[in-house]
Amino acid sequence: MTNSIAELEDAKVILIVGSNTTEQHPIIGERILAAARKGAKLIVIDPRAIHLSGFAEVFLRPRPGSEVAYLNGLINVIISEGLEDSEFIAARTEGFEELKQAVAEYTPQKVEEISGIPAEDLVAAARIYAGSERASIVYCMGITQHSTGTDNVLSLANLAMLTGNVGKPGTGVNPLRGQNNVQGACDVGGLPNVYTGYQRVDSEEVAKKFEAAWGVEGLSRQPGLTLTEMMDKAARGELKALFIMGENPMVSDPDLGHVREALDKLEFLAVADIMENETLELSHVVLPAASFAEKDGTITNTERRVQRIRKAVEPVGDSRPDWEIVCALARKMGASGFDFTSPEEVFEEIRKVTPSYAGITYKRLGTQGLQWPVPDEDHPGTPILHAESFPIGKGKFTPCEFREPAEMPDAEYPLLLTTGRLLFHYHTGTMTRRSPSLVREIDRAFVEVNPADAAELGIGDGEAVKVSSRRGSVEVNAKVTDKVGKGVIFMPFHFAEAAANVLTNSALDPVSKIPEFKVCSARIET
Amino acid sequence: MSDLKSIVREKLRDGADAFLCLKNEEGTVLPALITDADSPDLELVEVGDSRYPLGKILIDLLREYPDKRFAVLVRGCDERALVELSKLEQVDLERLVLVGVACSAEEAAACGCLRPYPSDIALGEKVEAAPGREVIDEVESLSDAERMAWWREQFSRCIKCYGCRNICPMCFCKDCALEEPHLVEPGVIPPDFPSFHIIRALDMTGRCIDCGLCEEACPAGIPLRSLYRKMQDIMEDKLEYRAGESAEERSPLSFLGSEQDIEKLEE
Amino acid sequence: MAENGSEMNYRLVPSTCVYCGTGCGVLLEVTGDRLSGTLPQKDHPVSKGALCIKGWSVHEFVYSERRLTKPMVRSGEVLVETDWEAALAAVADGLSAARDKHGPDSVGFFASARCTNEENYLLQKLARAVVGTNNVDHCARL
Repeated sequence: MTNSIAELEDAKVILIVGSNTTEQHPIIGERILAAARKGAKLIVIDPRAIHLSGFAEVFLRPRPGSEVAYLNGLINVIISEGLEDSEFIAARTEGFEELKQAVAEYTPQKVEEISGIPAEDLVAAARIYAGSERASIVYCMGITQHSTGTDNVLSLANLAMLTGNVGKPGTGVNPLRGQNNVQGACDVGGLPNVYTGYQRVDSEEVAKKFEAAWGVEGLSRQPGLTLTEMMDKAARGELKALFIMGENPMVSDPDLGHVREALDKLEFLAVADIMENETLELSHVVLPAASFAEKDGTITNTERRVQRIRKAVEPVGDSRPDWEIVCALARKMGASGFDFTSPEEVFEEIRKVTPSYAGITYKRLGTQGLQWPVPDEDHPGTPILHAESFPIGKGKFTPCEFREPAEMPDAEYPLLLTTGRLLFHYHTGTMTRRSPSLVREIDRAFVEVNPADAAELGIGDGEAVKVSSRRGSVEVNAKVTDKVGKGVIFMPFHFAEAAANVLTNSALDPVSKIPEFKVCSARIET
Repeated sequence: MSDLKSIVREKLRDGADAFLCLKNEEGTVLPALITDADSPDLELVEVGDSRYPLGKILIDLLREYPDKRFAVLVRGCDERALVELSKLEQVDLERLVLVGVACSAEEAAACGCLRPYPSDIALGEKVEAAPGREVIDEVESLSDAERMAWWREQFSRCIKCYGCRNICPMCFCKDCALEEPHLVEPGVIPPDFPSFHIIRALDMTGRCIDCGLCEEACPAGIPLRSLYRKMQDIMEDKLEYRAGESAEERSPLSFLGSEQDIEKLEE
Repeated sequence: MAENGSEMNYRLVPSTCVYCGTGCGVLLEVTGDRLSGTLPQKDHPVSKGALCIKGWSVHEFVYSERRLTKPMVRSGEVLVETDWEAALAAVADGLSAARDKHGPDSVGFFASARCTNEENYLLQKLARAVVGTNNVDHCARL
């Protein structure tokens, strides 16, 4: 997030797009409703009616995959009605003329044809967003998990810069990170192209810095493979060995048939995890890991707040914390530089090589945490990014053209399948499905079908159906509901026995390499 | 508060096996069980301004350690909770030593309960407070249909965290009606209106000691406390009973009698 | 119920909820030597004393029957329990063999958005400094 969670309450307008905030980030969802109680207007854009849409001033329900079209449409309306922030555009941005030209053809009428959003609703939303002094954008995987995910995000940035909604309290472009430490895993170099703090692996200067810090030579300057690329290489027999720490790709990844084939082809697969899961059956070695309650460490939340987790009890059985496991493995492989006796010692090394974490210590984190960047030990942390300037100087408008998703409904697979999470479960269910309080609420998959489609297909509420895509099929019960629009079906992906990701498409965004979980074509049979 | 430290030490010396109080750890005040007069935690004890359900914690501690006696730091609300829990046979007052702390004028005004002090005050000065009635007055100015709509709107924000129940010192049932699928449909938010919240409000009647922890824990900002407070006002008005006030008088709603009586009936 | 005369222990340990990216403040309740519950941290800057149902029950999976408690190595169709020494040696051998035979980029590492900063840092250091590949990624995109 460029801004902070608490600031949402100061916004006058909150645009929630591709985020079922109440179910995925419940406490943030309630913060948004608190803002609404203080008078903020909510604009919700989502293919499904969600909890927040019931509180929205305007609710737009587009067809999944039409994001660039309707975001360009909002920009089109703002420019044609003269609602842009000319002062901000002149002082802080470049490329406005190109953007203006690019969005000219995205009139509300054309956007209605592409997305199904009524033209007058789009205009109303544009006026509300542009007409306030402080408007915040909150988005999540409904924006990013598309083959046009990068363009979708750039379009949101265009929208925010166009109206000067950047760098002030209660504004910004705020992605909600789905996992507890997805922000931190990125911050500390858990990515193929960067070391900690987003220092590029292909920079000679950076590589030399890490060679000196780690006392090694010849670090690779060649960016590595992303997770989905590794899967593809494994399937082709080019990746031979894989070490998986705390992930369950056999439920979480798109096109699970392909994942199984890929993992099966590996010469060696080792997994460190806290729980039995679907990936273990393909592993050669399984290492039992300690849970969050059994170890110390830090995690970084969606607003860049680095926070501590603390050991409360001893690890169960012979399980060990992952930090100990990785250190022991490195020593086993003959490496030096892994003689840490506590996570705090590891953190001290991280902050030495990571400018944005340099001023953070365990002691300073206490029970409140600190928001990076924290360049030195006297720095109070940074609740708002880009207050004075963007890292690249002027903010650049990047015009985007609408492209259809990689796979669209056709005669054979006439419905559009989109996926997501439920309030009561989390990701692949490894933890939540072992939690009695959560299982009691719901413990089985379903598919949401619009009443009109259900009538056409002769499907009753609660009936067992088979959902198929080009990649496979699963059996689930139908939930007939007008939460989804006609032609769209929705499945939660938590449930391994009816895994939505058997169906999803692994087509990737060309830049971010994110798979298109949110759109594929499918059919339903009774 | 320096006195607290000496009180804790004194109670541990005088026969309490442990003292349940609050301590300040890295700036955050949280409950702590001190079992030893030499414990380093003794340096951290503090009344603070964060409240936790100490009564509920004690229910578990008394069960877990059946041969131990506990001293406990109580505000007015904590004392009322323990008194009522004792009548409901969840805590044994004989095994407890209550050390009372009066809420400050500022705390009392912000919280607004009827009696922001315990019967015996060891720490702080007694101040009176006037319960806030804004929400009750607002709702009572509405017609029946408007009231229903008002509450429906409030409860529409509920995300079924169960925080109101989980933090409540008076909620101790092993089987909770809120989890009965035939009463409240599982897995749906907001939960069924009005059943979910009516079940809880009825369970609170004659039992709620107006600590306000439910409202503090509610992520949706639902004015739960006013709802339960109104129920207690009606109880006092019609049945002359207010939960937690007297250790002798039993709630007129406990007509089923004690757990043992029920077991006998079942036989 | 604890054994008569056993040491009394009740503690609340400040931590952070490990489900979504909101990062709510929790207090893990420990009675005896076991987790017994979760309370919200009242003064937390993000969650301000509130939690969702997942936060309130974040301790529940820790003692699940499905927790892995022993290292295991594959023997034919089945995974067989072993000790840490043998399991770590098997992993070191598996990764080294691929690297030595097919080059460092034939080895990959999945870091984890579910693990700590320290653990992810160590894993990418292992991949880069020990194995010699930048093939390290995690489920940020999933």
